[in-house]
Amino acid sequence: MKRRDFLAGGCAGCASLLPGLAAAQPAWEIPARFARPDAGSDEGGLWSMMDREEVRLRKSPFSLRDPKLQAYVQDIACRLAGEHCPDVRVHLVRTPLFNASMAPNGMMQVWSGLMLRVDNEAQLAAVLGHEIGHYLARHSVERLRDAKSRSAFGMFIGMFGAVGQLGQLGLIAGMFAYSREHETQADSIGVLLMRKAGYDAAEAAKVWENLQLEMKARPDGDASRSPFFATHPPAAERQQALAELARASPGGAANEAQWREGVKPFLRDWLHEEVKRGQHEESLALLGRMIARSPAAADYRWARGEVYRLRARDGDLDSAVADYLAAVADGGEPPDTHRGLGMIYRARRQSPEARTSFQRYLELAPEAPDSALIKSYVEELRT
Amino acid sequence: MRTLPMALLVFLLAGCAGVAKVESGERGLGERMLVSLDGPWNKVSAPDREPAEVWTMEGRPVDELLIYSGIKNEQVIHATAMGANRKNFAFRSGMQPDEIVAMFEGMLTRDGSTFKLVKLAPADFGGAKGFRFEYALTRKVDNVQLSGLGFGTVSGGELFALLYQAPRLAFFPRHQPQVEKMARSARIKT
Repeated sequence: MKRRDFLAGGCAGCASLLPGLAAAQPAWEIPARFARPDAGSDEGGLWSMMDREEVRLRKSPFSLRDPKLQAYVQDIACRLAGEHCPDVRVHLVRTPLFNASMAPNGMMQVWSGLMLRVDNEAQLAAVLGHEIGHYLARHSVERLRDAKSRSAFGMFIGMFGAVGQLGQLGLIAGMFAYSREHETQADSIGVLLMRKAGYDAAEAAKVWENLQLEMKARPDGDASRSPFFATHPPAAERQQALAELARASPGGAANEAQWREGVKPFLRDWLHEEVKRGQHEESLALLGRMIARSPAAADYRWARGEVYRLRARDGDLDSAVADYLAAVADGGEPPDTHRGLGMIYRARRQSPEARTSFQRYLELAPEAPDSALIKSYVEELRT
Repeated sequence: MRTLPMALLVFLLAGCAGVAKVESGERGLGERMLVSLDGPWNKVSAPDREPAEVWTMEGRPVDELLIYSGIKNEQVIHATAMGANRKNFAFRSGMQPDEIVAMFEGMLTRDGSTFKLVKLAPADFGGAKGFRFEYALTRKVDNVQLSGLGFGTVSGGELFALLYQAPRLAFFPRHQPQVEKMARSARIKT
């Protein structure tokens, strides 16, 4: 299929999902399962390359190997993919950034930063549906042809040692950076798949609304720093388009309680990684939203307290203490809550409170990696 | 076609200019820190790690020793275009050891690598009360698992620290004793 024909087909599909335009355009239909392309073709080569990448991903220390969570997310992907389910293989990746991607061979990556940020199954389905949309519309084939010229450039700069490494990294990162037209079409297909799977399509717009909160909080206010947004349409534009698509067919499930339960065992680790990113303003925007949604969640309170403590601007330490104490009041707080309190009390020379907090931390986490340091503080505070 | 060999030559020469041998003996690190070296190291040019001085035994990215000498209050560390604009990872004089370690963690995981603190304990460094920490780092770009060792202290409101990291199976154990010895020899001029 020529590029122009393909785009025309894609746009027709896109338009068919928009109210008012659908009648004038042929409906986009979900294609039948794809056969593996001929190994000698450029597409076959791309699949082989992605197969090798998938082998590497399976062995990667960043792979989140939890059969229960993997099966849960795989099931959501399968509900969206329909008859393509056997071809979609979900890989969970431990990286604290909002991202998901899908390769043409069916390898789907879902990053922990995305799972931390979505409020329910429907919001995750919106992102996964979008990625499956790229897959079903075979956008990668077109990207392959665009990348060919960049490959030549990458090989050229690859002659120069470290410079070449940077070039190749950029090349890989850009491999699945689709055009805006493709992104818009994938959004439309994603909404269609959400509806078919029984999810509330209105949640798709909320994903972008939530992300805008974080983007606006950045000191540089630059959304393009995110790997997911480098080539995507602006979030505000996208949010509006998705909300419009969802209004055409209201209803469906969000499944928030199921999602919260499914990710509960991983929440503390993901929050820890979020805090340690050091992007304090983004984290505060995210955690503020999470606390407003789940006010009694001690983990979110602890995480926000940590961010305030590490940022330590005017008034931050007071805010940190308030969050830590709220986490303790909620119950089930992470042991680090008491460590954070102890650190602030110690800096403020509130020795009895500091000692009590550190002792509580050591009781709850006797094998903590910093226990030797904390014990030295307890001793120091006795004198 | 003459351009390509010329460009290659320029890059090779640039590479040579970026490495200098550090001889054994007593060496000054910045204006206020001295260490004693048992054997030679290689000092490399690494703008991505500034203001740290970067030394290596095996060559980057295999191993690296990051030397922070006299980092001042509010000074941005490992500033990239992104880091500098966003004003993150700046040292503050009032930082506690755990906050300094968290700062290093944030810097070393900026590329998606993972950091796991193994141990953090009080220790003398540079003739002052300081801290020593060990960590495990999994590098995102190549999945290599590294071990890391760090020492630090805040003296006169300035940060002095050494961080060494290398692949955990062979290179880290090979060079760890030298790094430990170097850290024990460190002296900060007041």
